[in-house]
Amino acid sequence: MRDLVAAEWLKLRTTHLLHGMIPAAVAISFAAVAGAVLATDRAGIPLASTRGIRRVLPITGTGALLVLIVGILIAAGEYRHGTAADTFLTTPRRRQVVTAKLTIGALVGLAAGGITSLACVGIAALLYKAKGSVFPFDDSEVWLTLAGTLIYTTLFAMLGVAVGTLVRNQVLAVAGALAWIGIVEHILVNLAPDIGKWLPAAAGQAIVRTPLDGVLSPLGGVALLVAYAAAIAAAGARFAVTHDA
Amino acid sequence: MIEVRSLTKCYGEHRAVDGLTLTAPAGQVTGFLGPNGAGKTTTFRCLLGLAEPTAGEALIGGRRYRDLDQPRRQVGALLESTGFHPARTGRNHLRIIARAACIGPARIDTLLELVGLRSAADRRVGGYSLGMRQRLGLAAAMLGDPPVVVLDEPANGLDPEGVAWVRRLLRAWADQGRCVVVASHVLAEVAQVVDRVVIIRDGQLIEETELAALADAVIVRVDRPDAMVKTLRDDGVDHQILGDGAISVAGRDTAEVGALAVRAGVTVTELARRSPGETLEARFLAAVGSER
Repeated sequence: MRDLVAAEWLKLRTTHLLHGMIPAAVAISFAAVAGAVLATDRAGIPLASTRGIRRVLPITGTGALLVLIVGILIAAGEYRHGTAADTFLTTPRRRQVVTAKLTIGALVGLAAGGITSLACVGIAALLYKAKGSVFPFDDSEVWLTLAGTLIYTTLFAMLGVAVGTLVRNQVLAVAGALAWIGIVEHILVNLAPDIGKWLPAAAGQAIVRTPLDGVLSPLGGVALLVAYAAAIAAAGARFAVTHDA
Repeated sequence: MIEVRSLTKCYGEHRAVDGLTLTAPAGQVTGFLGPNGAGKTTTFRCLLGLAEPTAGEALIGGRRYRDLDQPRRQVGALLESTGFHPARTGRNHLRIIARAACIGPARIDTLLELVGLRSAADRRVGGYSLGMRQRLGLAAAMLGDPPVVVLDEPANGLDPEGVAWVRRLLRAWADQGRCVVVASHVLAEVAQVVDRVVIIRDGQLIEETELAALADAVIVRVDRPDAMVKTLRDDGVDHQILGDGAISVAGRDTAEVGALAVRAGVTVTELARRSPGETLEARFLAAVGSER
């Protein structure tokens, strides 16, 4: 399995996928957090308070959407470029391939979450200073939120791999995931919050401790997102085994 | 050694492969011939575990592909459907396969040299010509130094020199004791190198022949083939009806066949000796005749 994961890493390193997507994910979070600091300050909320942190730091998770796409491309990209046959020739036991891809997806998500967290805390601390506040590094809310960001991006990357395994058409998988999170889930969260809170993006918001009414607890969010990723990955692995490459 | 037994693969109502049985022994080049759409690629895909047979089985050394230990070291495959990531270099394509298959990186340079891609190895595959991709695919197939080699239309995109080069490779591999199967819809590409041919059409076996068994034959074309065939049959002469009134007669020279025609009372319009290669071509064309 180590060789398979190493091969998956080599696949990622030898294309442009990460060069573009990871900086973009970091940049989106970076800009969103910077904006949130300024908006919170303008709203007159004390930046260094726990309430202020809760308005600023959960935004760090914004880049997870791009990490989800990276996950989709890790899996569905093999069908897009016709390399899936070669992969299955090397590893005919396709569940092993799915497992290796989930692993590399998780590692990429974790790394992206780490870089994003560092960048976002950095810009937040600088802006706090500029606004005459001290960034409260000793507030447990900061570290719980950042831990949540790591988990959120990791799980979203794995969710992406799972979706890309189940939906081999790369364009359809990406468009479908974006439409689901950006439109369908958005509508459901607003119109039927009782249903909406059980959906994947809402679970992600719970994990990064977004102060929204009616979302699950952070641990509940983790459990729910793990369940989604596991269920879709299991369906994807089954699909990979039962359908011709 | 490859064994395909009663293999059937259906896509909806369409039977792409229909009860196909064939074997390919080690140490020989087996030509797998048939017109486009005959089921060659589908047979390969079933053999390589990429498609699940609807019925029957396709075995390599007695085992299904997915049950092989380290399949890249057992079977090398070049498939038309196999693609390359355009942003990846040729060398990196091979590195990925080698890494996943636990094959040492030293093999990569050896194979890049073998397929003549050394100078282009660090260029992106997106800029490769069709022939270069084909060479890269061959390198990938041979990474694991496999005893079984399965190639689907390996001459695609190659110039005449490249086609001759592929033929020499196939011959060398078979002479090393490997089981080599090469699918083609163009007989001329492989006729000079194959030891045996399997001809299929519409997913069914048309003919499976050792080339050595195709001794010189005499082709006779007559006005009344039925009468000629009856005489041949009465005399126990090995023959095959080729269509268009032509009959292939084995084990007799032109004079003997001419005498048989006189006895049959038919008018001969053509009488010629045919080399094994020409005989093979005639049979191939007869098999795929309706495609012309």
